Amino acid sequence: MRAYIAARLATAVLVVLGVSIVSFCLTFLSGDPAEIMLPPGATAEHIAKFRAEWGYDDPLLVQYGRFLSRAVQGDFGVSLRHGQSSLPLIAARLPATLQLTVTAMLLAIVLAVPLGVLAATHRGGPLDLLAMGVALLGQSVPNFWLAIMMILLFAVSWGLLPTSGRGGPAHVVMPAVAIAINLMALLTRLVRTTMIEVLAEDYVRTGRGKGLREVMVLTRHALPNALIPLVTVVGLQFGYILGGAVVIETVFTWPGVGLFTIQAILNRDYPVVQASVFILATGVVLINLIVDLLYVWLDPRIRLG
Amino acid sequence: MINDHPRLRAIISRRAIPRALLVGTVALGLALAPAPDPAAAAPTGEVTIGLAAEPNTFDPHLTVGRNTQIFIVNVYDGLTARDAQGKLVPALATSWKRLNPTTWQFTLRKGVRFHNGDEFNADAVKFTLDRAINPETKATVSSELSTIARTEVVDPFTVNVITKTPDFLLPVRLGELYGLMLSPKHTNAVGKEGIAIKPNGTGPFKLAAWAKNERLVLEANEQYWRGAPKVKKITVRPILEDAARIAALQAGEVDLIAPIPHVRIAELKRNEKLVIKTIAAPRIFHVTIDVRKPPFDNVKVRQALNHAVDVNAILKSLYFGYGTRLATVVDKGALGYDPKVPPYPYDPAKAKALLAEAGFPNGFETEFDSFTGSIADHAKPAEAIVGYLQKIGLKVKPNVFEFGAFGPRRVANQTAPLFIYSIGNAYLEPSWVIRWLTQGGLGMHYKNAKLDEMLTRIEATDDPRKRAEQYSDVQKLLRTEAPFIFLFQADAVFGMSTRIDYTPRPDETQWLYPLGLKK
Repeated sequence: MRAYIAARLATAVLVVLGVSIVSFCLTFLSGDPAEIMLPPGATAEHIAKFRAEWGYDDPLLVQYGRFLSRAVQGDFGVSLRHGQSSLPLIAARLPATLQLTVTAMLLAIVLAVPLGVLAATHRGGPLDLLAMGVALLGQSVPNFWLAIMMILLFAVSWGLLPTSGRGGPAHVVMPAVAIAINLMALLTRLVRTTMIEVLAEDYVRTGRGKGLREVMVLTRHALPNALIPLVTVVGLQFGYILGGAVVIETVFTWPGVGLFTIQAILNRDYPVVQASVFILATGVVLINLIVDLLYVWLDPRIRLG
Repeated sequence: MINDHPRLRAIISRRAIPRALLVGTVALGLALAPAPDPAAAAPTGEVTIGLAAEPNTFDPHLTVGRNTQIFIVNVYDGLTARDAQGKLVPALATSWKRLNPTTWQFTLRKGVRFHNGDEFNADAVKFTLDRAINPETKATVSSELSTIARTEVVDPFTVNVITKTPDFLLPVRLGELYGLMLSPKHTNAVGKEGIAIKPNGTGPFKLAAWAKNERLVLEANEQYWRGAPKVKKITVRPILEDAARIAALQAGEVDLIAPIPHVRIAELKRNEKLVIKTIAAPRIFHVTIDVRKPPFDNVKVRQALNHAVDVNAILKSLYFGYGTRLATVVDKGALGYDPKVPPYPYDPAKAKALLAEAGFPNGFETEFDSFTGSIADHAKPAEAIVGYLQKIGLKVKPNVFEFGAFGPRRVANQTAPLFIYSIGNAYLEPSWVIRWLTQGGLGMHYKNAKLDEMLTRIEATDDPRKRAEQYSDVQKLLRTEAPFIFLFQADAVFGMSTRIDYTPRPDETQWLYPLGLKK
């Protein structure tokens, strides 16, 4: 087990390092910060001076060396736009993103599990059709469109929820639903499929044969086994959830890492983009690591294998 | 800027300076701003506003983009300011005059205090300007203050700013654009990172709280030298998405929003709970023509291009009529805008005739660059323009870039012979725009000795009224020479609830001091 964890940790570090390198190179493809940073009247001479001051006229390799030597110490440089260290700026926005993504994930799971179980146990019936219809809709609807529609309906027309921003629990409802909807749809289909498979297993038939009540068969025997793939998928989906959060945070002006990163990209704020990618990548890698370990704990066959 | 125009020195020494010294001491700020009215009502009530962007910093030397500059003026003051019509008026300086070609003297307002109680005086001006031009500050605005050589304290309320070359725009630069004054003691105490979030200005509002991306709270400075503002507390919410920002106004969460896409104006105007106000924004859209490359070196070809594009139709279809057709690159709010200079009429037949006269009866092949992802939409008007050019027989290959990719191409002079662009005339001074557009680099290659001479003469004239008169000939020359396809300026759109009273300013500044609540 220790060797397994050590190997997974080593891979995780390599992935984060690789992502940092890619993000460093990609920022250079996205354009020069000079034109955005300087006032419109800046001349070629001023642009050259700016590039020299910030080291953007050095060869790419020199810049990468500088970036790497600082990054290993957790220093991604000062934000061009905010004039403050990048990493603390991003870290300050993590709680908002975590609040949103964790709420969205819990919401997706809480809705998807009963829907999937109902669909599996009523296979081919109206409930199954309804659950699959909801899932199809959830997977087809673009989340930014859903977000705008919810704002118009629940905030503007009915005045039930705030249009945007972060504050009390009411603020999190629409952004969380907008993010959760795709994941909920995916998980509903997954739970349905795995439940159908598990319900056909011998031990379920044995349970029923022993005269166990159907609720007991479902909750004690079938569901725990059907949920194992769910853990993996939820873990893998965390990256997608963060991706979705970037869009939804922007629509709802939710003050998280996603919104901040989008602004940094648009403003060519290289240090913030690099710090943000580093933190998000580390988050995704960590979650995946936890999922892998959890999977081993849930299914001893993997450990034995 | 004037380094590039060597004729200036000669002209200035020959005639302008004697005049400047004679008329001279043109005290541009004779009309002193009103003294605080102690009987004025105390600030009351709260207002929430939703803006597309919040400031990047409250450090006036590290601002990025207009969104920051036009907002942080609420916390600071410059030596000069603009009134509601965009006219330059006194602020922390009560008057100013040019002592000699390269020395501007500012007489400072007495009795002004920073929010923390520090006194505003000549030392503060020297500290602020020294900091702005100090390379260690890495000021983003240094290009706009690059003419400053040094600042000298004459007495506690008089400063001389010595420029490297004559700079007629210095009083404008040292206003709300790049002359916001810092308190030396506070700035040194909080340091560079501190001043970004803990400003201490002399302005009408104090920054009470700021959670980035969430909200920014301004509190009335009741000791403000102009008199206390009308509203006690203003909360600013950054709401990036147009639809969400408009929804917040419709839902009554905010009282004022900007900007609003033109396509939504008609619908919002029908809402009785809202007031929609528009004002011509000083952003000048134009197509740059590479006059060095044939056939664009032929003025008839350039004039043909101007006749070929139906700018009014573009304004009507893309901007729903909320914009102004421009005859040149001088915008409506700028000093000396001459409405008598007519825009090129849309006349494709004449365009074809001009092309034939120039030796291109069957048109020619060329390329046209545009981009997405900048502060304003350039791609859609570009698409329309390319269509119009094709109608007169040109074979135009359109290239669309992301703005970040287009910028370096322009800086390296690698653009197509035609590219759409826009420039915000923050100075409201045509000379500033025209100098930039004719700098001979960054994709802009038009040069004209006569135009240069005219501008040089204008730049040596301190009196704005006398400058204004001279701009008429500049506009006529530009129109005839047609170094650009002249396009339009679009209106800026503000939406507000009926409970507030707010008039947008023509220079885009989000000046909240006069904002009030209706009784």
